[in-house]
Amino acid sequence: MKNFILLNVVIYSIVIFSQSKLPKNHSLSNKLNCKTCHVCEVPTKKDPCLVACPRNQMVTVYQSADKTVNIVTLGELSKKYDPVVFFHRAHAQMSEMSGGCVTCHHYNTSGPIQPCKNCHQEERKREDISKPDLEAAYHRQCINCHREWSHENSCISCHELKKAGKVSQKIDVKKIKSKDHPKLKAPEKVVYETLSRKGKFVTFYHDEHINLFGIKCINCHQQENCSKCHDKGKPTLTQQLYNLPVKIHKSADQHHKPCFSCHSEDRCGVCHSNKPEGPFNHAERTGWALNRFHEKLSCSKCHGNSDKFAKLDNKCESCHKNFAAGKFDHSLTGLKLDENHKDLDCIECHKEKNFSNSPACDNCHEDKSFPKNKPGKEITISLKKKK
Amino acid sequence: MEKQSRREFFKTTAIVGSAIAGLSSNSTKAAPKNILSEDRMGVLVDTTACIGCRSCEWACKTAHGIETQSLEKYSDRTVFKNMRRPDVNALTVVNEYANHQNAQLPTDVKIQCMHCDHPACVSACIVGAFSKQENGSVIWDTKKCIGCRYCMVACPFQVPSFEYNKAINPEIKKCDFCFERTKVGKLPACVEICPVEALTYGPRNDLIKIARERIKRNPDKYFDYIYGEYEVGGTSWMYIGNQDLRNVAFPKLGDKPAPGVSEAIQHGIFAYFVPPVSLYALLGGIMWITKNRKNSEEE
Repeated sequence: MKNFILLNVVIYSIVIFSQSKLPKNHSLSNKLNCKTCHVCEVPTKKDPCLVACPRNQMVTVYQSADKTVNIVTLGELSKKYDPVVFFHRAHAQMSEMSGGCVTCHHYNTSGPIQPCKNCHQEERKREDISKPDLEAAYHRQCINCHREWSHENSCISCHELKKAGKVSQKIDVKKIKSKDHPKLKAPEKVVYETLSRKGKFVTFYHDEHINLFGIKCINCHQQENCSKCHDKGKPTLTQQLYNLPVKIHKSADQHHKPCFSCHSEDRCGVCHSNKPEGPFNHAERTGWALNRFHEKLSCSKCHGNSDKFAKLDNKCESCHKNFAAGKFDHSLTGLKLDENHKDLDCIECHKEKNFSNSPACDNCHEDKSFPKNKPGKEITISLKKKK
Repeated sequence: MEKQSRREFFKTTAIVGSAIAGLSSNSTKAAPKNILSEDRMGVLVDTTACIGCRSCEWACKTAHGIETQSLEKYSDRTVFKNMRRPDVNALTVVNEYANHQNAQLPTDVKIQCMHCDHPACVSACIVGAFSKQENGSVIWDTKKCIGCRYCMVACPFQVPSFEYNKAINPEIKKCDFCFERTKVGKLPACVEICPVEALTYGPRNDLIKIARERIKRNPDKYFDYIYGEYEVGGTSWMYIGNQDLRNVAFPKLGDKPAPGVSEAIQHGIFAYFVPPVSLYALLGGIMWITKNRKNSEEE
């Protein structure tokens, strides 16, 4: 009996121990549910009961598109055709607005990138038909996008026929000129003519949103179709957008969706107007004109992350925590304080620390006033753009 | 609607017919050579993967010794302007339909014999030339065929075609699921050539599971329906797609086997020779009465 109990204890402790400590390759286990990869309740080493392919739920490796490998030759299956020269980097750059690396690398674990043939078998006649074979896996990644914009599905649009009698020529990747996706030409502004009765026009300054507000392309353009830019026979998108104004062509919800990620709490009038509007103007929009110091700054310098700009009050100290005697270098304003004024508290001249009003001298001097008299020497300052 | 009422008409006729014979219409008899194996093979056509390259058409013709142009010429997309049907010169054809979700990606659907689990052609063939094989194919014996073309009328998908252009010894033609190839362990020609494996060849039961899994995993991509799973009692070829294929490429059919109705009528009417015997008895009776009447008039 004793032995039996002891044996039980040993067995249970093994079971508990083996379950609490996960084997290797489980670096994602804190992020993922066990069910993402395993079908059964208690996977064992012998029977891990893995899901056929957890696909994009597993992805952990993100690489910037510009740093990826430039050219890949795909020639494992080439019988009738020469290997395909695939411009990987150009495609990676394009994919940034349409799903990213996952679009093709759908099984991307924490380790190195998996080659397709690790999962997709070369033989078409095979036991496990739940996944496409290697040829199909390659083709499915390419053809649907390609035929979307080129309306072509012939083999020779990607493959070159092998020259009769010749052994397939080996492709020297170094000899091929590298190919980056050309820089995108974004429109400066787009005027939309909406169906809204009040405020028919929405003027969208595309360049401001990118350059001034610091919004990334992917924040709005997430699942873009290849054919949005590439479609043989259609004028390109940028050409379309320069022919102003653009008539509404999607549902109101679809048009509002990309804007609402930031503008959800704004009134309609913020975007909608009866005429095309000018660019962003801080004074008009907020009632607080930017002075020569502030107009050079990027929005995020004061308002924080571009995901959600923080509302600020007009008190200088809200941002300038160092506006105090001895800490602030007054010569930055173009006026170098003389010996008498150098160590005074800000409040002595700037009443209630309101720096937008002219400073007052009457606190100490009965016969002096600004700007007739100055508490120091005027100097020229160079305004450098602060980042 | 018209088809429905036609079906209804047949149903009623069947009931009346069997009522005369004093039999229930539910007792459908299996066709003579209809083997329905548990692990019969099938093909799952994923029309979301199909790119409309028509390589399958070329492979089919080559495998069946039908004259064809070179494979490279098949990239011509103008053929999609017209809807085509399989015929003696093309046992399978691909048609293209508009895709309302994405106008750039039309839906391409390959059609051929569906290889029904309860084939109407097998039932309709009066010489027993048609048979459903253990591996799922529905094939026919040209030597037995007398050219009556009942199979063409019976087929709910209107697949079998007839060599009308041949004066001497015309034959019935349709997809034979590459019976000669699968017999020796090869894949059907169309399945082998498909560049995107839009055609998956495998045991029918596995294919249904795979189709369900694909739909479950990609509910936005697929319309939740497997065409051929239950149509006319189930077919070996099954289809999934991004839209309801019953609206574009295929007829709306019930899940009752197609031979059920026709067999009920045939078997019902002729069961135990009751209707013919009673018909002759009736005619004989009329003859006897009229003869009696004549006799009495003469007297």
